[in-house]
Amino acid sequence: MEEQGRRGNVITVFSTASAVGKTLVAVNMAAELARLGYRACLVDADLQFGDVCNYLHLVPERTLADAQKAAEADADTFDVSQFLDVYTCDNISFSVMAAPLRLDEAYNMAVLSVQHILQQLQFHFDFVVVDTTSAFSEMNLMIMDMSTIITFLGIVDFIPTIKNMKIGCDTIHSLGYESSKIRLVLNRSKSKTKIDLEDVERILGEPFYHVLSNDFKAAWDATAAGVPLVRSADTALAKDLRSLVARFTNNEVEDDSGAEGGVSSWFKRIFK
Amino acid sequence: MDYQVILIENNRLMLERLSSVIRATAGFNLIARYQQAGDALGQWAMFKPNIILLDIDVTGNLGLIPEFASAFPEAALLCVSSHWDAKDAAQIVKAGAKGYLVKPFTGEEFLEAVQTFGKSGMALGSEVLAFFSPKGKSGKTTLIANLAMSLANKSGEAVGIIDADLQFGDMAVFFNLEPKSTIMEATRDIKFLSPITLNSYFVEVPEAENIHVLCGTKKPEYAEMVDVASFEDMVRMAQSLFRYVLIDLPPGFNPISLAASELSTTTYVMAMVGGGYEVLHMKRALGIFEAWPDYRSRVKTIFTRVSPCTDEERRILEQELGYPVSAILPNEYLLVSAAANNGRMAVDIQPDTPLSQNINRLSEDIMGRRRTRWGAQP
Repeated sequence: MEEQGRRGNVITVFSTASAVGKTLVAVNMAAELARLGYRACLVDADLQFGDVCNYLHLVPERTLADAQKAAEADADTFDVSQFLDVYTCDNISFSVMAAPLRLDEAYNMAVLSVQHILQQLQFHFDFVVVDTTSAFSEMNLMIMDMSTIITFLGIVDFIPTIKNMKIGCDTIHSLGYESSKIRLVLNRSKSKTKIDLEDVERILGEPFYHVLSNDFKAAWDATAAGVPLVRSADTALAKDLRSLVARFTNNEVEDDSGAEGGVSSWFKRIFK
Repeated sequence: MDYQVILIENNRLMLERLSSVIRATAGFNLIARYQQAGDALGQWAMFKPNIILLDIDVTGNLGLIPEFASAFPEAALLCVSSHWDAKDAAQIVKAGAKGYLVKPFTGEEFLEAVQTFGKSGMALGSEVLAFFSPKGKSGKTTLIANLAMSLANKSGEAVGIIDADLQFGDMAVFFNLEPKSTIMEATRDIKFLSPITLNSYFVEVPEAENIHVLCGTKKPEYAEMVDVASFEDMVRMAQSLFRYVLIDLPPGFNPISLAASELSTTTYVMAMVGGGYEVLHMKRALGIFEAWPDYRSRVKTIFTRVSPCTDEERRILEQELGYPVSAILPNEYLLVSAAANNGRMAVDIQPDTPLSQNINRLSEDIMGRRRTRWGAQP
């Protein structure tokens, strides 16, 4: 069943070191995209222990598991938009596809089902931002294959973390993607380290595309309050996150000249 | 002094083959050989063996082990079979044998078996401690490496670490090891291995000769080559090599973490205090283990980077979690990372820090539990 129409971008936030701030970056990317007027959807693909809803203080009414069940029950009438929650804060509003509530549901999510759901989301949104787990699982490989851009998030911490970043970086490059698809982003949330950024870049063999300032407190406060940092530009971290999204979207405008189709073509597609 | 060996092997050709291996191995003297166990039992008084190799593929020979053990109290009885069987292994050790060898063996394997089993015997009822974390970055590799040090120092027994965090295992980096073989090769070859040959897949830790590490795969894509059934066989076999088998698991529930938890005597569910949702994740994870009938005694919880690291704080965590918290570890980021960056362990470098003290306390708990579970075993 090959479906026609314009498909939105998929931006995946991935890392091979844990607790580097994937969810924080994913949440703020979706929020910033929404603030800029794009139709954005945030998908929590950390199926077992995802934190997207925790970060947004959202109690999801529907999840990926419900979407999977519905799609399996009747693929023809399946409407992915019925399984989204909406997050709103000030003038920012974006959709959220929550991770399954139950662990057994999460454990049994099929790669093909998630792929199908992501494809459906691409028809509805300009940007689908996907938060992932830190592993080269079948699920994550499928998501990366589908992605327009992979934000490979790193941290300068201690040697084991850097080793895993290096392995991750090499592995991701071995997957045959265009190098412009992979964007190395450094989150400087651990400033106590004695390891230099330049040394890490030398080990990785490439410079960071973007560096996020160290502001643990701002990140913590925003998470505790359940609001995205990019809501205001009064912290360095918020500014960095905003400019990361600005860089992504600028590239997007250059690459995709058909993007001007806008709402009307979207409506045509939905009601064809 | 040379080892004096008696060989009992029913198959005439195998008897010849094993005899020539033993004769060709320096330090060993073949003093008598039999095809029938009964002959050995009836004629033993003529010899003074230190090692007896008993063919247990012959029906009935398994039942003779106690008789051999009492007839030759000075000698180490090693059972020989054409295949490895974890159930048989446990049974023969209980009956009084020291170890288990798969035939045919080489001179090196024979020597290693004697060295490994000769003194303390094959481990019986060893503890399998599985370390599970809902999400990554739980501090479990730090804990396992340091706990292994502590257990090895305090008990003087053999400790094995299996790095089953297949894609991003850090154990080799923590101990600064350069493994020639990893969990991938060990599970791939397991059908052809016995404890002795499996031992050679583990790397000895240079600073601690009774700690051996089976390192994680060298590349993430090798992870899928580790099949679960072989992994289970490997863990069971490792139990006859080490008194304590510590398994570092990948985060979350997956076939490997579920299999290791199933095999464990104790599963530690771990999380690092930080983002604010660790207790929630741990609660959900515990929900999965609740299905075990012995859940409350077998599943223990640990929080790391607890600050302040006080009993009061532990009680608060317990209350939030609704489950006992077995250990809390303080934040010693600089100490731990400095140690790990240099391939050393915090418990060795600074034994007086709260981190080291709490890890030592945990290892005493584990040793205490072992004593109660296995009775008067030394």
